[in-house]
Amino acid sequence: MNHVLSRDDNTQAPAIVAEKICKEIISGGARLTILDDLDLHIAAGESVAILGRSGSGKTTLLSLLAGLDSPTRGDVRLAGQSLSALDEDGRAQLRAGRVGFVFQSFQLLSGLTALENVMLPAELAGLEDADQRAQDMLTQVGLAARITHYPHQLSGGEQQRVALARAFAASPSILFADEPTGNLDVATGAAVIEQLFAMNRSRGTTLVLVTHDQQLAARCARTVTLEAGKLVERSAGPRL
Amino acid sequence: MTDVTTSVVDPAASANSIGTLRRASFPAAARHAFATLRRGLRAGDLRVLALALAIAASVASGVGLFTDRVLSAIDHSAGDALGADAVIRSSTPLPTELLQKLSADDVRAVATAEFPSVVTKVAAPDKNVSVSQDNADEVTQLSSIKAVENGYPLRGDLLVSDEPFAPAHAANAVPPHGQIWVDAKLWTMFGLGNGAQLQVGSIALTATAVIVDEPGRGNTFANLAPELMMNAADLDASGLIGPGSRVQYVELLGASSAQIAALNKLELPRGMRLVTPKDARPELKQSLTRARQFLDIAVLMTLLLAAAAVALSARQYGARLRDEVALLKTLGAGRRFLSQSLLMQMLLLGVIAGGSGVLLGAVAQELLGRVVAPVLGVALPWPSPWPLLLSLGVILLMLAGFALPPVIAALATPPVRVLQRAATASNSARVSAFAALAAVGALLWLQAGDIKLATFIAIGAVITAAILALLAWVLIRILRPLRKRTGVAWRFGLGNLARRGPDTVAQTVALGVALLSLLLVTVVRQDLLGTWRNRLPADTPNQFLINIQREQREPLQAFFIAQGYPQLPLLPMVRAHLTAINHQPVTEAAFEDPETKRWINREFNLSWTNHFGADNQLIAGEFWTSADAGKPWLSIEQDAAKRLKLKLGDTLDFDIAGQNYSLTVHDLRKVHWDSFKPNFFMMTPPGVLDAPASADRAEAPVQWVTSFYLPKAAPEDAAGTQKNRNLLRELVRQFPNVTALDLDAALAQVRNIVDRVVRALELVLLFTLLAGLVVMLAVIEGSRAERVRETGVLRALGASSRVVLQGLLAEYAVLGLLAGSVAAIAAQAIAWVLAVQVFDLPYGPRPVLLIAGALSGCLIVTLTGWLSLRRVLNSPPRAVLAAAG
Repeated sequence: MNHVLSRDDNTQAPAIVAEKICKEIISGGARLTILDDLDLHIAAGESVAILGRSGSGKTTLLSLLAGLDSPTRGDVRLAGQSLSALDEDGRAQLRAGRVGFVFQSFQLLSGLTALENVMLPAELAGLEDADQRAQDMLTQVGLAARITHYPHQLSGGEQQRVALARAFAASPSILFADEPTGNLDVATGAAVIEQLFAMNRSRGTTLVLVTHDQQLAARCARTVTLEAGKLVERSAGPRL
Repeated sequence: MTDVTTSVVDPAASANSIGTLRRASFPAAARHAFATLRRGLRAGDLRVLALALAIAASVASGVGLFTDRVLSAIDHSAGDALGADAVIRSSTPLPTELLQKLSADDVRAVATAEFPSVVTKVAAPDKNVSVSQDNADEVTQLSSIKAVENGYPLRGDLLVSDEPFAPAHAANAVPPHGQIWVDAKLWTMFGLGNGAQLQVGSIALTATAVIVDEPGRGNTFANLAPELMMNAADLDASGLIGPGSRVQYVELLGASSAQIAALNKLELPRGMRLVTPKDARPELKQSLTRARQFLDIAVLMTLLLAAAAVALSARQYGARLRDEVALLKTLGAGRRFLSQSLLMQMLLLGVIAGGSGVLLGAVAQELLGRVVAPVLGVALPWPSPWPLLLSLGVILLMLAGFALPPVIAALATPPVRVLQRAATASNSARVSAFAALAAVGALLWLQAGDIKLATFIAIGAVITAAILALLAWVLIRILRPLRKRTGVAWRFGLGNLARRGPDTVAQTVALGVALLSLLLVTVVRQDLLGTWRNRLPADTPNQFLINIQREQREPLQAFFIAQGYPQLPLLPMVRAHLTAINHQPVTEAAFEDPETKRWINREFNLSWTNHFGADNQLIAGEFWTSADAGKPWLSIEQDAAKRLKLKLGDTLDFDIAGQNYSLTVHDLRKVHWDSFKPNFFMMTPPGVLDAPASADRAEAPVQWVTSFYLPKAAPEDAAGTQKNRNLLRELVRQFPNVTALDLDAALAQVRNIVDRVVRALELVLLFTLLAGLVVMLAVIEGSRAERVRETGVLRALGASSRVVLQGLLAEYAVLGLLAGSVAAIAAQAIAWVLAVQVFDLPYGPRPVLLIAGALSGCLIVTLTGWLSLRRVLNSPPRAVLAAAG
C-alpha cells in the first residue's frame, strides 16, 4: 500500500482525465465515429459506472481510458501522465502496478496456475514479494486451496475470483472492470461483485466499471451513459 | 464480440452469397469457392495447408525428376560402355535375313569379332630401328584379337595414345587397313613403335597406336589377355577365322528406345543374345538403387511430415468452417452447393500449392543434378513425365487423405450450431483417421514402390516417433519444476509448453524427426565414414598384382626390393568350379538370389595358408595349425557360407583343371575386407591344392597374387608422376603377363559417389526439416487466437514488448532445445548401432553432437517461432477486450 501511496501522493488530483477524445474507425470504406469529442474526469478513489447500449462504445471508451488503445483525437491522462505522449511500451509500463483489470471472460493465462496468474502483475511491477502477495490475495478470495490449479480446472466463478485476486495483487490505484459478471450466473455474479466492491472499498481504489446492468451501476458513486458517441451524466449514486 | 482475426465467417460475403446460395448452381459454387479460397489464403487460414502441400509436391517431384534423370544417364552411359545402343552377341556370324531385317527397320549395324590368337613380332624391316627387347622376335603371345568395321564404336569413345602411359585422345576412327592398335602390355612386351609389325595370322600388320580405353572393354580378372585391334577388312586375308574357330561375334546396333523395345520382342536364332544397356553396369545400378532407397526413405519422411502438417491445418480449418457452414445452411445453402464449393476450393488449393511445389521441385532437382552429374561423368538428360504424374498422385493423396476429410466433416454441421455452438456432426474423427491411414498406406506404396520396404519404413517410422515422443514427454516432465525458479517471461513460455503437453510432444517429434535425419547424415558422413577412412594406415596397399606365375615369384620380389619396396606377401591362388554341395550337383536353380546364381556360374579363387592374418576373425569351428597340412578342409568366409547355405561339416566338390577335390567345411570366418590386403572367400590348409603331381592327379595350375602401396604423386608433382609411370612401365616390360589393378582410382570413385549421394541426401533432408517446421507452424496457427488473447492480457497488465517477446522466445527456445536434444540422443543411439554393426568401429558418447543438436534445434525453432508470431507480438491490448465479447 505504501508503495502505491508514494506514487500517487497527490490523491486529490484526478486519477483519469479524458479531454475531447474522439475515436473513429474505417468500416466498409466509410468513416464511423464511435466516440465524439468526449470529456471525462474521474477523481482518485471515485467509482464510476459506464452504461450504454450494445455497440454504444463502452468498451472502446474503457480501452482508451486504460491506454489499451489510442484515440483518433484528444488526450487521456492516467495518473497524471498523458497517454498520447507514450508509446505502447510506455503505456504498458504506466499500467504496471498502477492499473488492475477484471474482464468479462476472466482472461487468465491458461499455461499458468492460479498462483502464477495472480503473481503476474506484481512481478511485472517489479515487486519482490509477488509470491506472498498472490497467496494472500487468493486466500482473501477463498481460493487458498486452489493455488496450484490451472484455469481449466476451475469453475467460472472461481476463475473470476482468481481474476479479482490478480486485479488487486499489485495494489493498483485504478481498477477497470469490463462487464465482470457477464459470463457468470446471477448468484455467482453477485458474490463476485460483493468481493470486488469490498476489496475496492478497503483499498480506496479508483473504479471504472463498464456494465449494462443498472443495479450494478447504481452501486458506483457516479454513473455516466454513452449515447451516440457522447457521454451523458445520469446520476450520482451512493458512495459505498 | 467475435475475434475477427480467427473467424472464417465473413457476414458481408455471406450476405452477398444468399442469392446465389438459393440458385445453388455450379458457377455460384465456383464463385464461392474462389472467394473463400482467396479469403483463406489472405487471412492465413489456408496458408499452412498450402505450404505443406507445396513441400510435399516439391519433394516428390524434385527427387522423382532427379532420380529419373540420373537413371536415364546411367542407361545412356551404359550404352557408351557397350559401344552401342544394344548389341547382339553370337558364336556365329549374324544370318543375312537378320541383317536385312535390321537394315529394313533402319537399325544401324556395325560388326565386330573377338577371338584369341597367338601373335609374334615381325623382324624389324630396318636394321637401324632399335628394339627394346633383344629377343623380341622370338616371343609369341596369346592375344585377344578384336576385328572392327568402320563406324566402330556407335556410342562412347575409343581412346588411344602414341605410346604407353602417354596422354590419351579419342581416335574417331578404327585402325586403317594394314594397321593394328594394341594395348600397353602388348606394345611394351614387343617393344613396338617406329613402324614395328606383328604377325597376325597370315599377314603382318603395323602397330601405330596404343589402346587406352574402349567401349565394351572387359574389366574382370578373366579378361586379361593383351589386346589387339585390327580392321575387319584385314580379317579374311589373315586367315584366322575358319570353320570351328572360337569366335565371339558382336553386332553393334544403333537404335532408338522404340527400336530396342521391338528388338527385345524379336525371336533371335539359337545361340544369339540381345544385350541392352539395362543389362550393363549392374554394379553401378546396384549402388544407385541403394542410393535411391535412401532418398526414397528421406522423401517418405518428408511426405509423412507434410501429411501431418496438412492434416493438422485442415483439421483447424475444418473446425473454423463449421460456423460458416451452419450459417450458410441457416441462410438456405444446400449440401450440394456447399460440397461443390468446398471440393472446388480444395482442388484449386491443390493446383496452386501443388503447382508451386512442382516448380520448386524442378529447381531443386536441377541443383541436385549439378551436384551429382560431375561425379557420374555424364550429362543428365531431360526427365520423363512420369515423376510429374507421380507428384500429381501425391498431391491428390494429400488432398483426399488428409485435407478433405475434416473439411467434408464440416459439411455435416447442423444449422442449429448458430444457436448452440457445441452442436457438431459425429463420426468425423473416425472417418478422418481411416482416410489418413489409407492415404499413408497409399503414399508408402506409391513412393517406396515395394510393399516390403514400405512396411519396414512404416514400422520404423512408428517406432522412431514413439521413442522420440517418450523422450520428449520425459524431458517436458523434467522441465516442469524449473518454472518455479524462473522469471515471469520464462514461466509464461515454459507454462505454455507444459500446458500444451500433447501439442508440445507432437511438435517435438516432428521437429525431432527432421533434425534427427540431418544429424544422422552429418554423423555418418563426418564421424563414421571419416573414422573409417582414417583407420586405414597411410600405406594401405593401393595396387594389386595378379596372375604371377610360379617362376616369377623370386624375380618379382627382387624387382620390388631393387625399387626400395619391402618383401611383398605372395599368396597362391587356384581357380576352381564348384560342382557339388554335400554330393548334390550344384545348379543355379537351387538359389534364389541373383548374385548367388552368378557365383555358381563363375570360378572361385581358392588359396591356402596355415596362418590366418589379423584381418580374419573366427566365427565358428577352429583355425587349423601347421600340423593339419594336407587335410581336405575348407575355411569359408561367413557371407559366402550364408549365400551358399553352408554349415560346418558340409562337403564341397570342386573341379580344378579337370581334377575333383572334395573338401569339408572346417571353420567359418569374418574377413575385414577394408584392410585392402589380399583375402579369399575359401581357403584350405597347405598340401591340399598344392599337392605335387602324382600318378592319379596332375598338379593344380597355380598363380600368385600380392599387393603393395604405390605412393601417390600429386598432379603437380611431375617427377613423382614420372617415377610411378616408369615403375609400372618397367613392371609390365619385365612381367608382361602380370596385371596391376589400381585400387586408388576405384576407391576414389566410390568415395566420390558416396560423398555426392550424401550431399544430395542432405539437400532432400532440408525439405524434411522444412516439413517439420511446417508441422510446427500448423500447431502454432492452431493456437494463434489464444496467443493473441494472452499477449493482449500480458500487455494490459503492464508487460512490455520485451517481456512478451522473451516469453514467446523462451517457449520456442525450449521447444527447439527439446527437439534438438531428442534428435541428438536418437542420432547417438543410431550412430552407435551403425558403428558397431556396420562399420565395426568403437563409438562412445559425443557430447559435441548433443550440444550442437540442441543448439541448432533451439536456433532453428526460435527463429521460426519468432517469424510466425512476430505479428502477434504487436497485437494491441484492446484485442483482449475485443475477444472478451
